[in-house]
Amino acid sequence: MIARPADAAMDAEVLVIGSGAGGATTAAVLAEAGIDVLVVEEGEWVEQGDTVPFSLDQMDRQYRAGGVTVALGLPSVAYTEGRCAGGGTEVNSGLYWRPPGELLARWREDFRIADFDPAELLSIADEVETVLHVGTDPAGPTAPSEAMRRGADALGWRNGEIPRWMRHDGSGAGQRQSMTRTYLPRAAASGARIVTGCRVDRLELDGDRAVAAHTTLPDGRTGRITFRDVFVCGGAIQSPALLQRSGIRGNIGRSLAVHPTVKLAARFADPLNIPDDVPVHQVKEFAPHLSFGGSASNPGLVALSLLDEWNGFRDAVVDWPRISVYYAAITSQGRGRVFSVPRLRDPIVTYHLTARDRALLRSGLGRLALLMLEAGADTVFPSFRGAPAVRTRKHVATMERLFSANRASVMTVHLCSTVPIGEEAARCGADSFGRVHGATNIHVNDASLLPTAPGVNPQATVMAFAIRNARRFAAGESHG
Amino acid sequence: MADPARRPLPSTTVVTGAAGWLGTSLVARLAADPARARLRLLVHTTAEARALATRYADRPGVEVLVGDIAKADTALRLLDGAGPDTDVIHTAGIIHPRRVRQFFETNTAGTRHLATAAADRGVRRLVHVSSNSPFGTNPDRADTFRNDEPYHPYLGYGRSKMEAELAVTEAAAKGLDTVIVRPPWFYGPNQPPRQTTFFTMVRTGKFPVIGKGDQRRSMVFVENLVDGVLAAELVDAARGKGYWIADAEPYTVAEIVATVGAALRDEGLEVQPPSTSLPTLAARVAETADRFLQGVGLYQQQLHVLGEMGHTIACDISVARRELGYEPRVDLYDGMRASIRWCLDQGLTL
Amino acid sequence: MQQVRALPVVGGFADRLLAEDLPDLPHQRRAEVVGFVARRVDGLPSFTRFGVLLIGVVFRALLAVPGGWGLGRVVLRLPLPFVAEYPRLVRSLGYAYVWEHWPSTTPTGGAA
Repeated sequence: MIARPADAAMDAEVLVIGSGAGGATTAAVLAEAGIDVLVVEEGEWVEQGDTVPFSLDQMDRQYRAGGVTVALGLPSVAYTEGRCAGGGTEVNSGLYWRPPGELLARWREDFRIADFDPAELLSIADEVETVLHVGTDPAGPTAPSEAMRRGADALGWRNGEIPRWMRHDGSGAGQRQSMTRTYLPRAAASGARIVTGCRVDRLELDGDRAVAAHTTLPDGRTGRITFRDVFVCGGAIQSPALLQRSGIRGNIGRSLAVHPTVKLAARFADPLNIPDDVPVHQVKEFAPHLSFGGSASNPGLVALSLLDEWNGFRDAVVDWPRISVYYAAITSQGRGRVFSVPRLRDPIVTYHLTARDRALLRSGLGRLALLMLEAGADTVFPSFRGAPAVRTRKHVATMERLFSANRASVMTVHLCSTVPIGEEAARCGADSFGRVHGATNIHVNDASLLPTAPGVNPQATVMAFAIRNARRFAAGESHG
Repeated sequence: MADPARRPLPSTTVVTGAAGWLGTSLVARLAADPARARLRLLVHTTAEARALATRYADRPGVEVLVGDIAKADTALRLLDGAGPDTDVIHTAGIIHPRRVRQFFETNTAGTRHLATAAADRGVRRLVHVSSNSPFGTNPDRADTFRNDEPYHPYLGYGRSKMEAELAVTEAAAKGLDTVIVRPPWFYGPNQPPRQTTFFTMVRTGKFPVIGKGDQRRSMVFVENLVDGVLAAELVDAARGKGYWIADAEPYTVAEIVATVGAALRDEGLEVQPPSTSLPTLAARVAETADRFLQGVGLYQQQLHVLGEMGHTIACDISVARRELGYEPRVDLYDGMRASIRWCLDQGLTL
Repeated sequence: MQQVRALPVVGGFADRLLAEDLPDLPHQRRAEVVGFVARRVDGLPSFTRFGVLLIGVVFRALLAVPGGWGLGRVVLRLPLPFVAEYPRLVRSLGYAYVWEHWPSTTPTGGAA
């Protein structure tokens, strides 16, 4: 383990708060440029393999609040955040999507991002893919993936295997990659110090500069870290919350964007459940506004997916080996907010779905149910209160009629856009390189910067943004 | 691409709704082909029967029956003597009734009667003309219905047409050879008065464009639709399937209004610039009112049309192109000019 | 509110709810599940935790009076935003724990 406990008083040229996809890449780039870097992480360092993927134990150790976090609204949207060394990269499915080139170009225009070259970001994506060993699975699709492929093919819907960061050895066995295996060790090798179990409560400001970070250590002591520059990389909820707690105003936390998802459980004739992994096939026929994929499906999660209509569906819980859970995800026109209330440790998060979002969730769940019937599911159990068990096309119509987003388990794992990057004063919270508008040495470098939710797994885009901005910062340093 | 294999023409072709908008153009096409030996046509009123009999007085093999498809014995009479050398093309339906229950009597029960009779008689194929309505509206402006979609019917008409499709699918499962054709909003000669009103509204600048008019709409020129229906009848491999039949691409409402305006102008009519833009809320209110009225069994055409105007209804015809060899030959401008000319020829005031 | 522990507040409610939902779940297991639910409530973000404990206090009071549980069940069936989330939270955590730890559990909580 390369992390160590924090001291009460510390100092660094650059303080990086958070060690996920944004923080770890930032730390590696800056440390390799010869800058003195200190990374502080609130969670603990957990080696890959020490927890069972998608288990409650993993949620306890590596997720914020054990994974029970929610954006309030009608309906509320459940979300999850990694809270450990490596952040979300340690606990997600590791699926990797490059940022779509045309989306990058649109962001540049709409948010007036200066000196923003989609080609540069895509070339950074090339590097990232090498470092993380992004690739497809030589073993071929698992049964739940295969079911998704079969259903989509029957309908003529575009689908495919999504590559992920998995290093395959000669035997075909995969070793999952993440920040604790790649960018964090790289940062440490170039002299970065990494401390865990250290929460940053607020930044101490002096005019337009931050001069120190006030911290809380695991034993309850408080501490203070001084620095010349600070990179806030706590993710789309924690980064704006920290800025707000520090008294920074502007477009901070006002435009939370997520990919809302709804789920269903599909039961087949034969066993297909894989408790500790997720399907790697996605259906992109309706992308970007609508995508389908597979979810983690351990027996506990199968029970959860049946919970909304438990009275009708509970008998199926014993069939969990024949059940896999799938999701429909949408790009949302709704927005959420993150706001910090004085004296409250955690921010309040809200999210509002528009009428179009609700229609799209309904349609998405219907199309996904149809796909599962075509894949050979004997019964589909949609996750909303009052849902019918779906066995025929007519049942799909009944399901769509009864669907209401307010009665559904809406959730998301993709959170972004709370400190949008760019020069468009009305909506951007940070300048074209992530420096917070109105501040001289406070930078944000994580998912908060993405101008909108990208419609694909966002982690590749987050890393490309973070590396671009960190390089720009390092280049400015070397020129004096 | 090679055209898909077609069956030989049947000796008898049965058409329901033969005096309707689609039926009129379809029968004209069938009658023009001397190889179509016998045409057996169902119409709703004796007046329609007389008009058809007059029109095809010199065409041998045309037989016209009067009947209401909603009644079980009509289908039996219509298919009396039909067999494996008979194709049935079912275009009859009701779209703007006074009462919601009429949707189900004509569209659903009528189709069920016909499918049952067709199966009993052992006809070669039943082509059922459906609609976009069983699938509702697209959930996003950029969304396009693929060929195979879950049902999500739009109000009473949509439900009745969904039930009709299900009756056809049920008959197919029992062995009847069926093909479903799904046209969206159509246009072209022989149009009903409501479509004439549409032209007048566009000409006087009073067509209610909702918001920016960026809703996407698939439309189909009626002659393109006839091409699709005949392909569905004859292409062997289409058995058991359903297809969108529409113009090549969906249009935006703004584009439709502009194109119709241009077509009207080019036919020598004076056209006012569009002046009636309604907020999206207006369509939402109309849809809610329509939903309420239909909930108590009533149907009000203007509310229904206005409510639907706020939505995108777009479909993808690539599967029909690939499997039926369907190729839309007429585009929006030419099709609209043909419709306008037809109206003027009929002495209608636009 | 940070000093208030969740177990005394939500424990009785969770125990009662799970006992009704999963009557065949052995007592020892149910106690374990209730403990887990309370731990997770303790770990909730400030505002949600405050809300859950507030509703929890009301239901604990209801449970303490005769006929209170019946009234509580009626209240939970009302379409009240956030209040209905309370049993949902308990059930989500509880069921996830039960079937993750004892995957062959029957729909009524029995050990198959």
